[in-house]
Amino acid sequence: MLLAVLTLPNVALWADQPLHPRIDALIAAAADGPLAAPADDSEFLRRLSLDLLGRIPSSQEVRDFLADTAPDKRRQAIDRLLASDESSRHLAQAFDVMLMERLGEHEEWSRYLAESFRQNKPWDQMVREMLFPDASSESLRGAGFFLSKRLENYGQNPVDMPGLVRDVGRLLLGIDVQCAQCHDHLFVDDYKQADYQGLFAYLGHTFVRTDVQFPAVGENLVEKKVEFSSVFEQQPMATGPRLPGGRELEIPVFSKDEAFEVPPDRKTRTPGVPRFRPLQLLAEELPRADNRLFVRNVVNRLWWLMLGRGLVHPLDLHHSDNPPSHPELLDLLADEFVAHQFDVRWLMRELALTEAYQRSSVLPEGADVPPADRFQVALEKPLSAEQILASLRVATGHEPPASPSTEKQADAEGVALRKTFQAALAAQPREPEVEIRPSVQAALFLSNNSLILKWLQPGEGTLISRLDKLKDPAQVADELYLSVLGRMPTDEERQETREYLASRPERRVEALGHLAWALLTSTEFCVNH
Amino acid sequence: MAKHARCVPWEHAMSRRRWLGTTLGAAAGAYGLGGLWQPALAEQLQSRQRQVLFIWIDGGMSQLESWDPKPGTRFGGPFRAIPTSVPGIHVSELLPRSARLMDRLAIVRSLCTQDNSHSAGVARIQRGDPKNRGVTYPYFGSAVAKLLGAGQSGLPPYLWIKPGGGGFKYEDAGFLGAKYGALALGDGQPPENLLRHESLSADDDAARQALRRRANQRYAARRRPEVNDAHGYVFEMAAALMEQQELFTGQDDPRDVQRYGSHEFGRHMLKARKVLEAGVTFVKVNSYGWDTHGDNFNGHARLMPKFDQAFAAMIEDLEERGMLDHVLVIAMSEFGRTPRINGHVGRDHWPEAWSLAMAGCGLHKGLAVGQTNDEGTFVDTQPYDIGHMFHTWFKALGIDPQRTQYDNAGQPLPIAHDDCHAVAELLA
Repeated sequence: MLLAVLTLPNVALWADQPLHPRIDALIAAAADGPLAAPADDSEFLRRLSLDLLGRIPSSQEVRDFLADTAPDKRRQAIDRLLASDESSRHLAQAFDVMLMERLGEHEEWSRYLAESFRQNKPWDQMVREMLFPDASSESLRGAGFFLSKRLENYGQNPVDMPGLVRDVGRLLLGIDVQCAQCHDHLFVDDYKQADYQGLFAYLGHTFVRTDVQFPAVGENLVEKKVEFSSVFEQQPMATGPRLPGGRELEIPVFSKDEAFEVPPDRKTRTPGVPRFRPLQLLAEELPRADNRLFVRNVVNRLWWLMLGRGLVHPLDLHHSDNPPSHPELLDLLADEFVAHQFDVRWLMRELALTEAYQRSSVLPEGADVPPADRFQVALEKPLSAEQILASLRVATGHEPPASPSTEKQADAEGVALRKTFQAALAAQPREPEVEIRPSVQAALFLSNNSLILKWLQPGEGTLISRLDKLKDPAQVADELYLSVLGRMPTDEERQETREYLASRPERRVEALGHLAWALLTSTEFCVNH
Repeated sequence: MAKHARCVPWEHAMSRRRWLGTTLGAAAGAYGLGGLWQPALAEQLQSRQRQVLFIWIDGGMSQLESWDPKPGTRFGGPFRAIPTSVPGIHVSELLPRSARLMDRLAIVRSLCTQDNSHSAGVARIQRGDPKNRGVTYPYFGSAVAKLLGAGQSGLPPYLWIKPGGGGFKYEDAGFLGAKYGALALGDGQPPENLLRHESLSADDDAARQALRRRANQRYAARRRPEVNDAHGYVFEMAAALMEQQELFTGQDDPRDVQRYGSHEFGRHMLKARKVLEAGVTFVKVNSYGWDTHGDNFNGHARLMPKFDQAFAAMIEDLEERGMLDHVLVIAMSEFGRTPRINGHVGRDHWPEAWSLAMAGCGLHKGLAVGQTNDEGTFVDTQPYDIGHMFHTWFKALGIDPQRTQYDNAGQPLPIAHDDCHAVAELLA
């Protein structure tokens, strides 16, 4: 405890320090018990590779990293991985799952995300492009999918407009105002019906354009405020477009012939372009440095992505009765993210450099299990269907499938594989993938699906063939554990491998398959720890 | 809580998600489908497990060609009415086998529901038309899975046997959360990936599972227990399900096939009997193709005998096995069909006056509740909505709908429409 008092940081005095030691000082100051030991190199590299590339490292990558004697090899690895194309593809994938919640895919959206992360586009710019998609730009119009997918009918149901309002609030501002649609929120005092309705006033007039093939959103004329009343009080109220905590926008009055900048064309079914376009205003007002909800939401989500739990958790319930676990830290991240022009990779790099990120998930000897929100021990994180697929491929000695943004050129097989894995392992549409949620369906898939058994067959460069060539069982164990779990085996594990192979001398290839399968379905493989 | 009369029906998914989210901290039993093995909430039910067979006649069976015939009237159609084993109760001649079992059945002829479109009707009926409280209510199967649990069968509590595709169907569960969804046996086939791969012997499977368990033990020895417990648990559940694969793959006795019918519905009903015998809490069987807007009478002449055959065989078998005491059987559609015969010799959708059939689980036997007017157009006695049926069914299952509520992340929600009540005539 004395240590905690001595290290209590003064953030202002530290302003010329890099961000990551300041993060660690704040975490240490709020710790409630011992911190876990630093992760060893294997644990670190596996975690980093899953977080930045979306797959486990290959056995050769692990060997190289373990053999590297440079004192700053972790920093080098972080920079190398972050600079790779593979990381752009993975970030695009991870943000797709976060932003679309498995509602659907679109090639132009995938391309837009991949290109944005390749350029390391600032987050505020991405959000502007998503909220007011530029239909005239081939490289930017895919961003419209964020809105347009939510403006489609789903199944036999009509457009879920409250769902769209809710998702804009949840995913971009970190607040879930859906339950404040018909009345002020019953459990969350901060969420007012006027907040829901003000956000609705920005979005309620939008529709999917059907005159074009790419994802595109049109706007109807908005001529008056949204009228509403609480189902409890029945008091008539009205609001123009207004962000929670922001100012209400005036709705201008135009004469009939002036309402459209470009009038609709019935013949070509081209929708008109109104002079007053709330979406354009939303794109200006929402992703701004002085919109605290916007900034806190994104840094909290990046923190969750790397550290396994939001400083505000659940991620979409920022409000005064659900304060951050580390209030100063959230403010610090928000300020620094703004100061660094919403640079996603910069923040991920700083987070990866923290001791908190590089701690082991192994509990300290003799201590109680600490609360998850203290970040004293690394938290286990879920793996997406795509991370499992890519990791299974790497572990069994196969190429990971191409990413959705490049599949045009290649690989129908990769597309099919991804769909199969998503069906078995991904959450249902509209269910966020935030927590670890094993299912019997997934267990049956990993146990019995013929794909995985096929990958455990001998073949050019496959894991089983590599193992089969090694005569010394200790070497077999080393290569097996490096390939699947990214670490060297313990003596006990070498012994187990030796005994299992010895018990099936006539059926060595099958026995190797059993050993590999057992590790591929183990908790250690199936979570990011 | 005040009425949400103007709160339009989009789900408060936050609450549903919070339910899912909290499972991580809960006992290992609460994971994914694993949650389906949770012990029953109502402990008094443990002593005698009650079960449900829910036969969903999709598209709308005609009450006039089944349980409420009006022969010789303007809208009565060509079929006769026949006497049943209960004096005074007549049913359509298309139900000869069921007629002989009428003394085991309870029918309701005074259903008066609201929606006359399939899309609204199917969901509304199977959700029991709860009042709108801004959440998506579970279908009856998910509700029973939640309220009664899985019992001791080692099988999921909600199986759905249907034509077409199978898989894990989460949609039925509404705010209860995905784990109360249905495991669907598409075309009666076992769920995907259930069967051990042919290249793997049972011994080898056991050996590799033992290796997996040891790997997990080593991992968990030094980490927080929750994640490994949950992860290991779903594999154990998968293994338990695989051990029952005989249930899904075994051959049917040819005598049974003959009695139930070799047609799709007959085969699916026979499968339903087997899984009920194995102890599954709730089994839904779908029959499709009943939307007879055109050629209603030939349509029912073709469909009804298949229904009659399999339904009667099921009632006989459940009784013979002593299961009718604790299995509630329900056969119904989303609505009935119009008395008026349209220009295509069809009948359209008619929620105003229609019928359903039930049996078992302590319901009174050999009675027909309510009646329609002479031409079958409207209900003459007290009309019953689906909410009344939900109250009745829950009571028959030993769940008091007045005292039992769902807890939706702090929001108390009634399990059945709070303006309705059980139908007293049906209950012992």
